[in-house]
Amino acid sequence: MKRFECLQAIAPLIKNELFITTAGGATAEWNAVHPSDGNIQVKTLGLCSSIGLGLALALPKRKVFVFDGDGALWMNLGTLATIGLHHPKNLIHLCWDNQQYESSGGEPTVATAGKIDFAGVASNAGVKSSRSASTVDELKQAVSHGLSHDGPHFIWARIEAGRAEAPPLQYDELENKYHFIRYVEETEGINILRVPMPASYLLK
Amino acid sequence: MGTVAGAQQILAGLKEAGIDLVSSVPDINVLQLINLLYEDKQIMHVPVGREEEGVGVCAGAHLGGKKPALLMQNGGLLNSCNGLTTTALQFGMPILLLIYYAGDIGDNAFHMVGLVTEPVLQGLGIKYIVMRDPGKVKQDIAGAVTLANSSKRPVALLLTRAVL
Repeated sequence: MKRFECLQAIAPLIKNELFITTAGGATAEWNAVHPSDGNIQVKTLGLCSSIGLGLALALPKRKVFVFDGDGALWMNLGTLATIGLHHPKNLIHLCWDNQQYESSGGEPTVATAGKIDFAGVASNAGVKSSRSASTVDELKQAVSHGLSHDGPHFIWARIEAGRAEAPPLQYDELENKYHFIRYVEETEGINILRVPMPASYLLK
Repeated sequence: MGTVAGAQQILAGLKEAGIDLVSSVPDINVLQLINLLYEDKQIMHVPVGREEEGVGVCAGAHLGGKKPALLMQNGGLLNSCNGLTTTALQFGMPILLLIYYAGDIGDNAFHMVGLVTEPVLQGLGIKYIVMRDPGKVKQDIAGAVTLANSSKRPVALLLTRAVL
């Protein structure tokens, strides 16, 4: 299955869920299929799942998606243990595994040799619901299950390499962040950027 | 391992400054503080396996409206440099870094880590205070949090044994 057809299949299931997407092709394709201020693109390889964990813990009633990649997940494999430990019910961690560092030129990752079972790693690290998907229908079912059940969820999406034509994100990271935070403020009814006056104003 | 009184004062300072989530990797010198965080009901405590994960957790927590801090040893600061640069600094994330200053004058371990700690913070463009005065703990924490919020950047507090 191709990533783009998977993204097209799951987009109709999405309402106002938040998306933390890894540096790479998944971001441009997802923003083409589902443009939203609730999408933010991560610049640090491997860190999207940690950011998603922090967001999920901060907003426990909101479903948070992480779009990871096989190279990115390899860089921060310990994240699965940390997610298993803290067990956010609202986190859906989806790894698009194309068995290569596609954005870096197609070099092999840990997944290329076909030995690692990411879903097995997640499950054995204590992630409550862990599935693998090799067809668009399986993936759609896994995402539906994630949306309607408590997690944390891990979904191992085993895709073909290759990118669809999609324009890169039109925001730089600061604009992306402000849009994202304003979207969270609006949809959660909370105030994030206008912080209360800190205690130091009262100190001499 | 620090004193209970020192840890209590730091925890109270964090609360007064509005910190409501602390991600951590332990060091023996912040043992008392970590113990208090495990018991505390007001501050969400998020232990992680490697410090750079903590940068991500704090960044995500900020996106969701929390006021985060990352507690670690300075070896962990070195582990976190890419995350601090390409997530915390590049996106403008206010994160309080509480860093035990191993290898500081008077500390008998990790002298190389101690040697490079301040130059690394300077190289990253992260403002910091070396905390040596127990009488200024709350003021230093409040000042660092104020600057983190107004500059939308990480700000570091180097915790020496004198304040722990």
